[in-house]
Amino acid sequence: MFEILGFEFFRNALIAGVLASVACGIIGTYVVVRRMVSVSGGISHAAFGGIGLGYYLGIDPLLGATAFTVATALGMGTLQLRARQQMDTIIGAVWAAGMAIGILFVYLTPGFAPDLFSYLFGNILLVPRGDILLMGVLVVIIVAVVALLYRELQAVTFDPDYATVMNLPVERLSLLLLVLIALTVVMLIRVVGIILVIALLTLPAAISRLYTTRIRSMMLLAVILGIAFTIAGILLSYLLDVPSGATIILVSTVAYAGALVTERLRQGD
Amino acid sequence: MTVPVIEVEDVRVRLRGHTVLEDVNLAVHQDDFYAIIGPNGGGKTTLLKVILGLLQPSCGTVRILGGTGAAARKELGYVPQFRTFDFEYPITVREMVISGRLGHITRFPRRYGAEDHARTEEALRMMGIADLADRQIRDLSGGEQQRAIIARALVGDPKVLLLDEPTVYVDAPTAAQFYSILDRLRERMAIVLVTHDIGVIPEHVTRVACLNRRLYTHDTNEITPDMLEAAYHCPVDLIAHGVPHRVFSEHAEEE
Repeated sequence: MFEILGFEFFRNALIAGVLASVACGIIGTYVVVRRMVSVSGGISHAAFGGIGLGYYLGIDPLLGATAFTVATALGMGTLQLRARQQMDTIIGAVWAAGMAIGILFVYLTPGFAPDLFSYLFGNILLVPRGDILLMGVLVVIIVAVVALLYRELQAVTFDPDYATVMNLPVERLSLLLLVLIALTVVMLIRVVGIILVIALLTLPAAISRLYTTRIRSMMLLAVILGIAFTIAGILLSYLLDVPSGATIILVSTVAYAGALVTERLRQGD
Repeated sequence: MTVPVIEVEDVRVRLRGHTVLEDVNLAVHQDDFYAIIGPNGGGKTTLLKVILGLLQPSCGTVRILGGTGAAARKELGYVPQFRTFDFEYPITVREMVISGRLGHITRFPRRYGAEDHARTEEALRMMGIADLADRQIRDLSGGEQQRAIIARALVGDPKVLLLDEPTVYVDAPTAAQFYSILDRLRERMAIVLVTHDIGVIPEHVTRVACLNRRLYTHDTNEITPDMLEAAYHCPVDLIAHGVPHRVFSEHAEEE
Protein backbone atom coordinates (compact mmCIF):
# COMPACT_ATOMS: atom_id res chain seq x y z
CA MET A 1 0.00 0.00 0.00
CA PHE A 2 3.01 2.32 0.16
CA GLU A 3 2.70 3.07 -3.53
CA ILE A 4 -0.07 5.54 -2.68
CA LEU A 5 2.54 7.79 -1.06
CA GLY A 6 3.67 8.49 -4.61
CA PHE A 7 0.49 10.43 -5.28
CA GLU A 8 0.62 14.15 -4.52
CA PHE A 9 -2.99 14.24 -3.29
CA PHE A 10 -2.13 11.59 -0.74
CA ARG A 11 0.99 13.38 0.53
CA ASN A 12 -1.07 16.58 0.77
CA ALA A 13 -3.68 14.74 2.78
CA LEU A 14 -1.07 13.50 5.25
CA ILE A 15 0.48 16.98 5.61
CA ALA A 16 -2.97 18.52 6.12
CA GLY A 17 -3.77 15.85 8.72
CA VAL A 18 -0.57 16.57 10.67
CA LEU A 19 -1.10 20.36 10.56
CA ALA A 20 -4.72 20.03 11.67
CA SER A 21 -3.68 17.69 14.49
CA VAL A 22 -1.12 20.18 15.82
CA ALA A 23 -3.75 22.94 15.97
CA CYS A 24 -6.32 20.55 17.45
CA GLY A 25 -4.03 19.24 20.15
CA ILE A 26 -3.05 22.70 21.36
CA ILE A 27 -6.39 24.51 21.11
CA GLY A 28 -8.47 21.42 21.91
CA THR A 29 -6.63 21.20 25.24
CA TYR A 30 -7.98 24.61 26.26
CA VAL A 31 -11.44 23.67 24.93
CA VAL A 32 -11.50 20.54 27.11
CA VAL A 33 -10.06 21.99 30.33
CA ARG A 34 -12.13 25.18 30.11
CA ARG A 35 -15.24 23.18 29.16
CA MET A 36 -15.88 25.16 26.00
CA VAL A 37 -17.03 22.21 23.90
CA SER A 38 -20.47 23.63 23.17
CA VAL A 39 -19.11 27.13 22.46
CA SER A 40 -16.75 25.53 19.94
CA GLY A 41 -19.68 23.61 18.44
CA GLY A 42 -21.56 26.89 18.03
CA ILE A 43 -18.56 28.56 16.38
CA SER A 44 -18.03 25.66 13.97
CA HIS A 45 -21.64 25.49 12.85
CA ALA A 46 -21.75 29.25 12.43
CA ALA A 47 -18.92 28.70 9.93
CA PHE A 48 -21.51 27.33 7.51
CA GLY A 49 -22.96 30.84 7.27
CA GLY A 50 -19.52 32.01 6.12
CA ILE A 51 -19.25 29.17 3.59
CA GLY A 52 -22.61 30.20 2.12
CA LEU A 53 -21.55 33.85 2.08
CA GLY A 54 -18.36 32.86 0.23
CA TYR A 55 -20.38 31.05 -2.44
CA TYR A 56 -22.75 33.99 -2.76
CA LEU A 57 -19.94 36.54 -3.14
CA GLY A 58 -17.97 34.25 -5.42
CA ILE A 59 -14.90 34.17 -3.13
CA ASP A 60 -13.16 31.19 -1.53
CA PRO A 61 -15.77 29.80 0.91
CA LEU A 62 -13.01 29.22 3.47
CA LEU A 63 -12.26 32.97 3.50
CA GLY A 64 -15.94 33.62 4.18
CA ALA A 65 -15.84 30.97 6.92
CA THR A 66 -12.77 32.58 8.51
CA ALA A 67 -14.42 36.00 8.70
CA PHE A 68 -17.69 34.51 9.93
CA THR A 69 -16.21 32.30 12.65
CA VAL A 70 -13.91 35.01 14.01
CA ALA A 71 -16.83 37.46 14.16
CA THR A 72 -19.03 34.83 15.83
CA ALA A 73 -16.31 33.99 18.35
CA LEU A 74 -15.84 37.65 19.29
CA GLY A 75 -19.61 38.19 19.49
CA MET A 76 -20.23 35.15 21.69
CA GLY A 77 -17.23 35.92 23.85
CA THR A 78 -18.40 39.46 24.49
CA LEU A 79 -21.89 38.22 25.33
CA GLN A 80 -20.47 35.62 27.68
CA LEU A 81 -18.34 38.18 29.50
CA ARG A 82 -21.14 40.73 29.77
CA ALA A 83 -24.29 38.68 30.21
CA ARG A 84 -22.98 35.43 31.72
CA GLN A 85 -26.51 34.04 31.72
CA GLN A 86 -28.29 31.62 29.44
CA MET A 87 -25.11 30.98 27.54
CA ASP A 88 -26.33 27.58 26.39
CA THR A 89 -29.41 29.17 24.81
CA ILE A 90 -27.25 31.75 23.04
CA ILE A 91 -24.94 28.99 21.78
CA GLY A 92 -27.93 27.03 20.47
CA ALA A 93 -29.26 30.11 18.67
CA VAL A 94 -25.89 30.92 17.07
CA TRP A 95 -25.43 27.26 16.12
CA ALA A 96 -28.74 27.08 14.22
CA ALA A 97 -28.68 30.65 12.87
CA GLY A 98 -25.24 30.08 11.30
CA MET A 99 -26.48 27.00 9.50
CA ALA A 100 -29.67 28.82 8.42
CA ILE A 101 -27.72 31.76 6.99
CA GLY A 102 -25.52 29.33 5.07
CA ILE A 103 -28.51 27.52 3.60
CA LEU A 104 -30.11 30.82 2.49
CA PHE A 105 -26.92 32.04 0.81
CA VAL A 106 -26.36 28.73 -0.96
CA TYR A 107 -29.99 28.85 -2.17
CA LEU A 108 -29.58 32.45 -3.40
CA THR A 109 -26.36 31.66 -5.25
CA PRO A 110 -27.15 31.04 -8.90
CA GLY A 111 -26.11 27.65 -10.22
CA PHE A 112 -24.72 24.66 -8.42
CA ALA A 113 -22.58 24.94 -5.28
CA PRO A 114 -19.52 22.78 -5.92
CA ASP A 115 -17.90 20.91 -3.01
CA LEU A 116 -20.72 21.83 -0.63
CA PHE A 117 -20.78 18.31 0.69
CA SER A 118 -17.05 18.36 1.37
CA TYR A 119 -17.36 21.48 3.55
CA LEU A 120 -20.01 19.74 5.62
CA PHE A 121 -18.29 16.38 5.99
CA GLY A 122 -14.72 17.08 4.92
CA ASN A 123 -12.57 15.49 2.31
CA ILE A 124 -8.95 15.51 3.26
CA LEU A 125 -8.00 13.74 0.02
CA LEU A 126 -9.06 16.82 -1.94
CA VAL A 127 -7.15 19.47 0.02
CA PRO A 128 -5.46 21.77 -2.52
CA ARG A 129 -1.93 23.11 -2.18
CA GLY A 130 -3.05 26.64 -1.39
CA ASP A 131 -5.07 25.44 1.59
CA ILE A 132 -2.07 23.56 2.96
CA LEU A 133 -0.08 26.78 2.89
CA LEU A 134 -2.93 28.58 4.70
CA MET A 135 -3.07 25.79 7.30
CA GLY A 136 0.69 26.05 7.81
CA VAL A 137 0.46 29.79 8.47
CA LEU A 138 -2.40 29.27 10.94
CA VAL A 139 -0.44 26.59 12.81
CA VAL A 140 2.56 28.92 13.12
CA ILE A 141 0.31 31.69 14.49
CA ILE A 142 -1.34 29.34 17.00
CA VAL A 143 1.95 27.88 18.24
CA ALA A 144 3.55 31.33 18.53
CA VAL A 145 0.64 32.88 20.45
CA VAL A 146 0.36 29.95 22.86
CA ALA A 147 4.13 29.85 23.43
CA LEU A 148 4.19 33.58 24.21
CA LEU A 149 1.08 33.64 26.42
CA TYR A 150 1.23 30.16 27.98
CA ARG A 151 1.26 31.40 31.58
CA GLU A 152 -1.41 34.03 31.06
CA LEU A 153 -3.71 31.61 29.22
CA GLN A 154 -3.21 29.06 31.98
CA ALA A 155 -4.13 31.60 34.68
CA VAL A 156 -7.19 32.80 32.75
CA THR A 157 -8.52 29.34 31.91
CA PHE A 158 -7.84 27.98 35.40
CA ASP A 159 -9.23 30.75 37.58
CA PRO A 160 -10.43 33.87 35.72
CA ASP A 161 -11.40 35.66 38.95
CA TYR A 162 -7.92 35.37 40.37
CA ALA A 163 -6.44 36.45 37.04
CA THR A 164 -8.63 39.57 37.24
CA VAL A 165 -7.44 40.33 40.77
CA MET A 166 -3.86 40.03 39.48
CA ASN A 167 -4.79 42.66 36.88
CA LEU A 168 -4.20 40.42 33.86
CA PRO A 169 -6.15 41.43 30.72
CA VAL A 170 -8.66 38.63 31.25
CA GLU A 171 -11.21 39.89 28.75
CA ARG A 172 -8.72 40.27 25.91
CA LEU A 173 -7.11 36.90 26.65
CA SER A 174 -10.52 35.15 26.69
CA LEU A 175 -11.45 36.69 23.35
CA LEU A 176 -8.04 35.80 21.92
CA LEU A 177 -8.59 32.18 22.91
CA LEU A 178 -11.99 32.18 21.18
CA VAL A 179 -10.41 33.62 18.02
CA LEU A 180 -7.80 30.85 18.10
CA ILE A 181 -10.63 28.31 18.40
CA ALA A 182 -12.33 29.92 15.39
CA LEU A 183 -9.14 29.72 13.30
CA THR A 184 -8.64 26.09 14.29
CA VAL A 185 -12.22 25.30 13.31
CA VAL A 186 -11.62 26.80 9.86
CA MET A 187 -8.53 24.61 9.43
CA LEU A 188 -10.49 21.51 10.38
CA ILE A 189 -13.32 22.16 7.92
CA ARG A 190 -11.15 20.81 5.07
CA VAL A 191 -10.21 17.75 7.06
CA VAL A 192 -13.40 16.51 8.71
CA GLY A 193 -16.05 19.09 7.77
CA ILE A 194 -18.19 21.46 9.82
CA ILE A 195 -20.43 18.78 11.30
CA LEU A 196 -17.56 16.67 12.63
CA VAL A 197 -15.13 19.41 13.70
CA ILE A 198 -16.05 19.27 17.33
CA ALA A 199 -14.99 15.63 17.70
CA LEU A 200 -11.48 16.11 16.31
CA LEU A 201 -11.08 19.25 18.42
CA THR A 202 -11.98 17.57 21.68
CA LEU A 203 -11.38 13.80 21.52
CA PRO A 204 -7.54 13.77 21.32
CA ALA A 205 -7.34 16.31 24.16
CA ALA A 206 -9.92 14.43 26.23
CA ILE A 207 -7.95 11.16 25.92
CA SER A 208 -4.71 13.01 26.66
CA ARG A 209 -6.24 14.43 29.84
CA LEU A 210 -6.49 10.88 31.25
CA TYR A 211 -2.73 10.41 31.14
CA THR A 212 -1.22 13.85 31.75
CA THR A 213 -0.98 16.25 34.66
CA ARG A 214 -0.07 19.55 33.03
CA ILE A 215 -1.35 21.68 30.15
CA ARG A 216 2.00 21.42 28.37
CA SER A 217 2.14 17.61 28.37
CA MET A 218 -1.58 17.37 27.66
CA MET A 219 -1.06 19.42 24.47
CA LEU A 220 1.88 17.32 23.38
CA LEU A 221 0.10 13.99 23.81
CA ALA A 222 -3.07 15.37 22.18
CA VAL A 223 -1.05 16.40 19.12
CA ILE A 224 0.53 12.93 18.86
CA LEU A 225 -2.86 11.22 19.27
CA GLY A 226 -4.43 13.53 16.69
CA ILE A 227 -1.72 12.69 14.16
CA ALA A 228 -2.17 8.98 14.83
CA PHE A 229 -5.97 9.18 14.43
CA THR A 230 -5.92 11.23 11.24
CA ILE A 231 -3.27 9.07 9.56
CA ALA A 232 -5.03 5.88 10.63
CA GLY A 233 -8.33 7.34 9.41
CA ILE A 234 -6.90 8.36 6.04
CA LEU A 235 -5.33 4.94 5.47
CA LEU A 236 -8.47 3.09 6.53
CA SER A 237 -10.72 5.25 4.36
CA TYR A 238 -8.40 4.60 1.41
CA LEU A 239 -8.28 0.84 2.00
CA LEU A 240 -12.03 0.50 2.62
CA ASP A 241 -13.02 3.15 0.10
CA VAL A 242 -15.20 5.10 2.57
CA PRO A 243 -15.34 8.86 3.41
CA SER A 244 -12.15 10.06 5.15
CA GLY A 245 -13.64 12.62 7.59
CA ALA A 246 -16.11 10.17 9.06
CA THR A 247 -13.43 7.47 9.33
CA ILE A 248 -11.06 9.79 11.21
CA ILE A 249 -13.83 10.69 13.66
CA LEU A 250 -14.84 7.06 14.22
CA VAL A 251 -11.21 6.04 14.82
CA SER A 252 -10.95 8.86 17.42
CA THR A 253 -14.24 7.92 19.06
CA VAL A 254 -13.31 4.24 19.34
CA ALA A 255 -9.97 5.26 20.86
CA TYR A 256 -11.73 7.55 23.35
CA ALA A 257 -14.17 4.83 24.37
CA GLY A 258 -11.29 2.37 24.73
CA ALA A 259 -9.32 4.82 26.87
CA LEU A 260 -12.30 5.46 29.13
CA VAL A 261 -13.00 1.76 29.62
CA THR A 262 -9.33 0.97 30.28
CA GLU A 263 -9.13 3.80 32.78
CA ARG A 264 -12.28 2.59 34.54
CA LEU A 265 -10.94 -0.98 34.79
CA ARG A 266 -7.58 0.26 36.04
CA GLN A 267 -9.19 2.33 38.78
CA GLY A 268 -11.48 -0.54 39.69
CA ASP A 269 -8.52 -2.74 40.66
CA MET B 1 -2.89 57.15 61.96
CA THR B 2 -1.71 55.24 58.91
CA VAL B 3 -3.75 54.86 55.75
CA PRO B 4 -6.11 51.89 56.01
CA VAL B 5 -5.11 48.98 53.76
CA ILE B 6 -8.72 48.70 52.62
CA GLU B 7 -11.21 51.53 52.72
CA VAL B 8 -14.78 50.97 51.57
CA GLU B 9 -16.85 54.14 51.40
CA ASP B 10 -20.65 54.36 50.98
CA VAL B 11 -20.74 51.33 48.71
CA ARG B 12 -24.07 50.31 47.26
CA VAL B 13 -24.52 47.35 44.93
CA ARG B 14 -27.67 46.57 42.97
CA LEU B 15 -27.84 43.25 41.15
CA ARG B 16 -30.83 42.32 38.97
CA GLY B 17 -33.03 44.91 40.62
CA HIS B 18 -32.15 43.94 44.18
CA THR B 19 -30.06 45.99 46.53
CA VAL B 20 -27.41 43.58 47.76
CA LEU B 21 -25.24 46.07 49.62
CA GLU B 22 -26.29 49.42 50.99
CA ASP B 23 -24.24 52.21 52.58
CA VAL B 24 -21.39 49.90 53.41
CA ASN B 25 -18.44 51.56 55.08
CA LEU B 26 -15.44 49.59 56.18
CA ALA B 27 -11.84 50.37 57.07
CA VAL B 28 -9.32 47.59 57.51
CA HIS B 29 -6.01 48.55 59.06
CA GLN B 30 -2.63 46.96 58.71
CA ASP B 31 -2.78 44.98 61.95
CA ASP B 32 -6.44 44.01 61.76
CA PHE B 33 -7.77 40.49 61.79
CA TYR B 34 -11.27 41.32 60.66
CA ALA B 35 -14.12 38.81 60.73
CA ILE B 36 -17.27 39.63 58.76
CA ILE B 37 -20.19 37.40 59.58
CA GLY B 38 -23.70 37.31 58.25
CA PRO B 39 -26.39 35.02 56.91
CA ASN B 40 -26.16 33.35 53.52
CA GLY B 41 -27.24 35.80 50.85
CA GLY B 42 -26.31 38.70 53.11
CA GLY B 43 -23.81 40.08 50.59
CA LYS B 44 -20.53 38.81 52.04
CA THR B 45 -19.11 37.44 48.81
CA THR B 46 -20.41 40.50 46.95
CA LEU B 47 -18.54 42.79 49.34
CA LEU B 48 -15.33 40.81 48.78
CA LYS B 49 -15.84 40.99 45.01
CA VAL B 50 -16.26 44.74 45.20
CA ILE B 51 -13.03 45.04 47.20
CA LEU B 52 -11.23 42.78 44.73
CA GLY B 53 -12.47 44.74 41.72
CA LEU B 54 -14.42 41.77 40.34
CA LEU B 55 -17.65 43.73 40.64
CA GLN B 56 -18.26 47.44 40.08
CA PRO B 57 -20.40 48.99 42.84
CA SER B 58 -23.40 51.06 41.74
CA CYS B 59 -21.97 53.86 43.82
CA GLY B 60 -19.28 54.39 46.43
CA THR B 61 -15.53 53.91 46.31
CA VAL B 62 -12.98 51.30 47.33
CA ARG B 63 -9.41 52.32 48.09
CA ILE B 64 -6.56 49.85 48.44
CA LEU B 65 -3.66 51.44 50.32
CA GLY B 66 -5.18 54.83 49.50
CA GLY B 67 -5.34 54.15 45.74
CA THR B 68 -8.30 53.30 43.54
CA GLY B 69 -6.57 51.89 40.44
CA ALA B 70 -6.64 48.27 39.35
CA ALA B 71 -2.87 48.08 39.85
CA ALA B 72 -3.32 48.45 43.63
CA ARG B 73 -5.11 45.10 43.66
CA LYS B 74 -1.84 43.24 43.48
CA GLU B 75 -1.47 44.07 47.17
CA LEU B 76 -4.47 41.81 47.83
CA GLY B 77 -4.27 38.09 48.40
CA TYR B 78 -7.52 36.26 47.75
CA VAL B 79 -8.62 32.86 48.96
CA PRO B 80 -11.86 32.26 47.05
CA GLN B 81 -14.76 30.24 48.33
CA PHE B 82 -13.78 26.63 48.05
CA ARG B 83 -14.80 24.94 44.80
CA THR B 84 -15.32 28.15 42.87
CA PHE B 85 -12.87 26.96 40.25
CA ASP B 86 -12.33 23.66 38.52
CA PHE B 87 -10.19 21.25 40.52
CA GLU B 88 -10.14 18.87 37.55
CA TYR B 89 -7.91 21.34 35.71
CA PRO B 90 -4.55 19.75 34.86
CA ILE B 91 -2.20 21.83 36.97
CA THR B 92 0.41 20.93 39.55
CA VAL B 93 0.49 22.52 42.98
CA ARG B 94 3.72 24.34 42.14
CA GLU B 95 2.32 25.71 38.86
CA MET B 96 -0.80 26.94 40.61
CA VAL B 97 1.13 28.60 43.42
CA ILE B 98 3.64 30.34 41.14
CA SER B 99 0.79 31.68 39.00
CA GLY B 100 0.08 34.01 41.92
CA ARG B 101 3.25 35.90 40.92
CA LEU B 102 1.91 36.87 37.48
CA GLY B 103 0.47 40.14 38.80
CA HIS B 104 3.96 41.27 39.78
CA ILE B 105 5.54 40.62 36.39
CA THR B 106 5.19 43.61 34.11
CA ARG B 107 7.60 42.82 31.31
CA PHE B 108 6.30 41.06 28.23
CA PRO B 109 6.24 38.17 27.57
CA ARG B 110 5.79 37.30 31.22
CA ARG B 111 8.40 34.84 32.42
CA TYR B 112 9.03 33.63 35.96
CA GLY B 113 12.38 34.72 37.38
CA ALA B 114 14.56 33.49 40.23
CA GLU B 115 12.63 35.53 42.81
CA ASP B 116 9.30 34.11 41.64
CA HIS B 117 10.63 30.57 42.08
CA ALA B 118 12.15 31.37 45.47
CA ARG B 119 8.89 32.91 46.73
CA THR B 120 6.97 29.88 45.52
CA GLU B 121 9.19 27.42 47.36
CA GLU B 122 8.94 29.57 50.48
CA ALA B 123 5.14 29.65 50.32
CA LEU B 124 4.99 25.89 49.69
CA ARG B 125 7.17 25.25 52.74
CA MET B 126 5.24 27.68 54.89
CA MET B 127 1.98 25.89 54.06
CA GLY B 128 3.60 22.50 54.62
CA ILE B 129 2.91 21.27 51.08
CA ALA B 130 6.45 21.35 49.64
CA ASP B 131 6.43 17.57 49.26
CA LEU B 132 3.18 17.76 47.26
CA ALA B 133 4.46 20.41 44.84
CA ASP B 134 4.55 18.16 41.78
CA ARG B 135 1.20 16.51 42.43
CA GLN B 136 -1.91 17.45 40.52
CA ILE B 137 -4.23 19.73 42.44
CA ARG B 138 -7.13 17.27 41.99
CA ASP B 139 -5.19 14.48 43.73
CA LEU B 140 -4.91 16.45 46.98
CA SER B 141 -7.20 16.21 49.98
CA GLY B 142 -9.53 19.10 50.74
CA GLY B 143 -7.26 20.51 53.42
CA GLU B 144 -4.20 20.25 51.18
CA GLN B 145 -6.01 21.96 48.32
CA GLN B 146 -6.93 24.76 50.66
CA ARG B 147 -3.34 25.23 51.75
CA ALA B 148 -2.32 25.37 48.09
CA ILE B 149 -4.88 28.12 47.48
CA ILE B 150 -3.54 30.10 50.44
CA ALA B 151 0.03 29.57 49.18
CA ARG B 152 -0.99 31.07 45.84
CA ALA B 153 -2.35 34.12 47.66
CA LEU B 154 0.86 34.43 49.70
CA VAL B 155 3.42 34.37 46.86
CA GLY B 156 2.16 37.77 45.73
CA ASP B 157 3.36 39.16 49.09
CA PRO B 158 -0.04 40.73 49.85
CA LYS B 159 -0.71 43.44 52.42
CA VAL B 160 -4.15 41.96 53.05
CA LEU B 161 -5.41 38.42 52.82
CA LEU B 162 -9.12 38.08 52.03
CA LEU B 163 -10.75 34.73 52.74
CA ASP B 164 -14.25 33.73 51.65
CA GLU B 165 -15.87 30.98 53.75
CA PRO B 166 -12.55 29.16 54.07
CA THR B 167 -13.68 26.30 56.29
CA VAL B 168 -17.01 25.27 54.79
CA TYR B 169 -15.75 22.12 53.09
CA VAL B 170 -13.07 20.98 55.50
CA ASP B 171 -13.43 18.87 58.63
CA ALA B 172 -12.94 20.22 62.14
CA PRO B 173 -9.28 19.21 62.68
CA THR B 174 -8.36 20.71 59.30
CA ALA B 175 -10.20 23.90 60.20
CA ALA B 176 -8.31 24.13 63.51
CA GLN B 177 -5.02 23.66 61.68
CA PHE B 178 -6.12 26.29 59.18
CA TYR B 179 -6.78 28.87 61.91
CA SER B 180 -3.39 28.27 63.45
CA ILE B 181 -1.88 29.07 60.04
CA LEU B 182 -3.85 32.32 59.96
CA ASP B 183 -2.50 33.21 63.40
CA ARG B 184 1.02 32.96 62.05
CA LEU B 185 0.19 35.03 58.96
CA ARG B 186 -1.36 37.92 60.79
CA GLU B 187 2.01 39.20 61.91
CA ARG B 188 2.80 39.85 58.25
CA MET B 189 -0.49 41.09 56.83
CA ALA B 190 -4.02 42.19 57.62
CA ILE B 191 -6.62 39.45 57.33
CA VAL B 192 -10.27 39.73 56.39
CA LEU B 193 -12.28 36.58 56.98
CA VAL B 194 -15.84 36.19 55.77
CA THR B 195 -18.11 33.44 57.08
CA HIS B 196 -21.75 32.62 57.72
CA ASP B 197 -20.85 30.34 60.57
CA ILE B 198 -20.45 32.32 63.77
CA GLY B 199 -19.22 29.17 65.47
CA VAL B 200 -15.92 29.19 63.59
CA ILE B 201 -14.65 32.67 64.33
CA PRO B 202 -11.10 32.16 65.50
CA GLU B 203 -10.03 33.46 68.85
CA HIS B 204 -7.56 36.06 67.68
CA VAL B 205 -9.83 38.26 65.57
CA THR B 206 -9.42 41.92 66.45
CA ARG B 207 -12.64 43.20 64.93
CA VAL B 208 -16.01 41.72 64.02
CA ALA B 209 -18.73 43.07 61.79
CA CYS B 210 -22.12 41.68 60.80
CA LEU B 211 -23.28 41.99 57.21
CA ASN B 212 -26.80 41.65 55.96
CA ARG B 213 -27.14 44.18 53.15
CA ARG B 214 -25.88 46.78 55.63
CA LEU B 215 -22.70 46.38 57.61
CA TYR B 216 -22.96 46.57 61.39
CA THR B 217 -19.57 47.27 62.87
CA HIS B 218 -18.27 47.28 66.36
CA ASP B 219 -14.95 48.54 67.60
CA THR B 220 -14.01 45.45 69.53
CA ASN B 221 -13.79 41.80 68.70
CA GLU B 222 -17.06 41.01 70.43
CA ILE B 223 -20.18 39.87 68.73
CA THR B 224 -22.97 41.61 70.58
CA PRO B 225 -26.54 40.38 70.56
CA ASP B 226 -27.52 43.76 69.07
CA MET B 227 -25.28 43.23 66.06
CA LEU B 228 -26.54 39.75 65.47
CA GLU B 229 -30.13 40.82 65.81
CA ALA B 230 -29.59 43.69 63.39
CA ALA B 231 -27.85 41.45 60.89
CA TYR B 232 -29.99 38.35 61.13
CA HIS B 233 -33.25 40.20 61.77
CA CYS B 234 -34.18 37.89 64.59
CA PRO B 235 -33.01 37.43 68.14
CA VAL B 236 -30.15 35.00 68.09
CA ASP B 237 -29.31 33.07 71.19
CA LEU B 238 -25.54 33.27 71.34
CA ILE B 239 -25.02 30.28 73.55
CA ALA B 240 -27.52 28.07 71.74
CA HIS B 241 -25.80 28.91 68.48
CA GLY B 242 -22.54 27.79 69.93
CA VAL B 243 -20.63 31.04 69.73
CA PRO B 244 -17.43 30.11 71.52
CA HIS B 245 -16.88 31.94 74.76
CA ARG B 246 -13.46 33.00 73.58
CA VAL B 247 -15.09 35.57 71.31
CA PHE B 248 -16.10 37.57 74.34
CA SER B 249 -13.90 40.25 75.70
CA GLU B 250 -12.65 38.64 78.89
CA HIS B 251 -11.00 35.92 76.86
CA ALA B 252 -9.71 38.28 74.21
CA GLU B 253 -7.26 39.54 76.83
CA GLU B 254 -5.41 36.27 76.66
CA GLU B 255 -3.71 37.47 73.49
